[in-house]
Amino acid sequence: MDNTYNTYNTHSTHNTYSAYTINICYLYPDLLNSYGDRGNVIALKKRCEWRNIQVNIHNISIGDDFVPGNYDIIFLGGGQDYEQEIIKEDLLACKGGQIKNAIEQGKVFLCICGGYQLLGKYYRTWDGREMGFLGALDIYTIGHKKRMIGNLAFKCDFLLSEKNPGGIVVGFENHSGKTYLGPGVKPLGKVIKGHGNNGEDGFEGAVYKNTYCSYSHGSLLPKNPMFTDHLISLALKQKYNDFDCLEKLDDSIEMNALFKTYRKVCKNLRNFYSFPLA
Amino acid sequence: MKFRFVLAIIAAKAAIIFLRMINYGGTSLPGKIALLIYPGILKELSSSFKVIAITGTNGKTTTSRVIAQMLKENGIGYIANKSGANLLNGITTTFIEAVNIKGTSNVSTALLEMDEAAFNKIIEHLEPHVTVVTNFFRDQLDRYGEVYSTLNSVLTGIRKTPGSALVLNADDSLCASLGKDSGNKVVYYGFSPSAWNSTENTLNNDAAFCLYCKAPYDYENRVYGHLGGFICRDCGYRHPGSTVTCTGIEELNANHSRVKLDLDGTTVDTVINLPAIYNIYNALAGCACGIAMGFSHDSIIKALSEFEPGFGRMEKIKKDDKSIRVILIKNPTGFNQVLDYILNENNDENKSFNIAFLINDNAADGRDISWLWDVNIEKLGKIYDKIITAYVSGTRGPDMAVRLKYADFDTKKIKHVEDYNRIINEALETTPGNGTFYILPTYTAMLDIRYILKNKFKLKEFWE
Repeated sequence: MDNTYNTYNTHSTHNTYSAYTINICYLYPDLLNSYGDRGNVIALKKRCEWRNIQVNIHNISIGDDFVPGNYDIIFLGGGQDYEQEIIKEDLLACKGGQIKNAIEQGKVFLCICGGYQLLGKYYRTWDGREMGFLGALDIYTIGHKKRMIGNLAFKCDFLLSEKNPGGIVVGFENHSGKTYLGPGVKPLGKVIKGHGNNGEDGFEGAVYKNTYCSYSHGSLLPKNPMFTDHLISLALKQKYNDFDCLEKLDDSIEMNALFKTYRKVCKNLRNFYSFPLA
Repeated sequence: MKFRFVLAIIAAKAAIIFLRMINYGGTSLPGKIALLIYPGILKELSSSFKVIAITGTNGKTTTSRVIAQMLKENGIGYIANKSGANLLNGITTTFIEAVNIKGTSNVSTALLEMDEAAFNKIIEHLEPHVTVVTNFFRDQLDRYGEVYSTLNSVLTGIRKTPGSALVLNADDSLCASLGKDSGNKVVYYGFSPSAWNSTENTLNNDAAFCLYCKAPYDYENRVYGHLGGFICRDCGYRHPGSTVTCTGIEELNANHSRVKLDLDGTTVDTVINLPAIYNIYNALAGCACGIAMGFSHDSIIKALSEFEPGFGRMEKIKKDDKSIRVILIKNPTGFNQVLDYILNENNDENKSFNIAFLINDNAADGRDISWLWDVNIEKLGKIYDKIITAYVSGTRGPDMAVRLKYADFDTKKIKHVEDYNRIINEALETTPGNGTFYILPTYTAMLDIRYILKNKFKLKEFWE
């Protein structure tokens, strides 16, 4: 099979969008940056720019002022244990209060892997040591000796659309922590293939108000353009009263990759269901 | 003579012959058979060899090739695991091939590339005379885990061989720590601050914070990634200085580099027979190993200008007046360096070129392709207009197409073709006269395309 992409880098002609600006905050970009997580910020930026929405990226790290009101979408990625150790104090002691408030007030957050765990109440290592985390979400994580590594596919009801009738999301997970959700937090999706939160209850990620958490690297957003658009829409809706919905882009390249990955990851599943290429 | 010892050698040798006969490399399985029959086989076989071990994330193969050339210049016969089979089984196979049934050989030097995650285990079987560690970068985290665990594992291995001289990259704060944390004798190599200072300051750095006290490093100069003249202002951990130093870069062109070196106090001008900055590091590592081995400066310098690249490492194939360059990519830092090379090559040229990205996600490539998003593809932006077609292929080719799209590359110029043969034919046809077709494969894709190129252009077998 081969294929020339007869598509065009989409450039919007939609004039109303040019009045919109999205401010993206990338928290600890120099430390929480493993597994291509910066791809999430690139995806948000590009999909805004292709629609003529102005984008500013704010890199906020240790010791920097953090004023959530200045941002419309806040991204927190994952890092190696060594780097997570470095940011922990700054995150918990300096920025923690504001992050908690912003989450409660419905600010749009995307948190991946380590960033997801850090929002929870605590992390208990496999040998019983307990580390207090932010407690912004009613979740906790228990360390495990065996890492959960591999391709991950799950379905999200809020992503059901014509182009993606299954609401399929693909990514790659690599974590040793098993995360459990409290009653106030909903799972992000239902696992089709992979471990997800804990490899036990069949769920992946977490949603609380406008905070979205996932174990999916890969990067999550470039691989799943509908997810990216969902977050951009949420942010615009919050900021602009006249915002209605996002203009559609030509996603054939993204959907081709998503479809191929999904087929590859789920080919041996009995409940594999057909997923038409848009 | 122990029966099992002889049996192990005979069985493994038979396996080599059989596997080569059916046109299979047979670089790993024979060693496995030998170790199963006689677990002490590697220890016994290697005891009569002077072993040079090369480990680290990037540059193992090229550094080995530089050292191999030095051995040749000095008339020293040697064995090497050239095929890239750098785990315990592959290294055992290398010895099995070299010895007779009694376990003896007419050469007494072994040049061995060792996988950085396997080094700690391999080292229990043999005692290197010199151990070269090239660098540590984040690499295939699903396979190796965090870069710090790889570093710790190599350190544990080094502590098992206190008599081995170390050759270490002084510009890499992770690698240089091995000298500080072990009692071994060390020869350091690196760049002098005046030789190269990159202005590119990447947020996406593999080791921006002090290994010992977690404060951010200051840099006197940056070469690339986290390599450079690092210093921690908090605890004082700093670049240790170097015995083999690149003091100036006079020319970086498509085929080679011309540099000024300080070899243990002697200044020399020399040509390095492979292009790109990262190969200067590999040459320096080779030189420092030569110094540790006590080779003459003449033989060291001569080797730099004459060594042959390993397969798929900047390998150049000529087809009439056009050339193909196969450049292995396996992690963000390596990929970024390759992009710098292509950028440097085509910045002033008016010629257009083709490029192919062959991205696989098999076990040896790393199953996780997120690393493509850590690569700064955007820096090619300056020369996008010179790219005729960007081919994407391999098991994750479609993901590479997405990466290119989000780097603002014109999607009309992206072509997804699964058949490597067709890519080669098509791309060569549209490559202009005297132009280059760059092939950038991940490890297993490189083995596949190398096989096709070998048959098409009559190249060497990969184990040769």
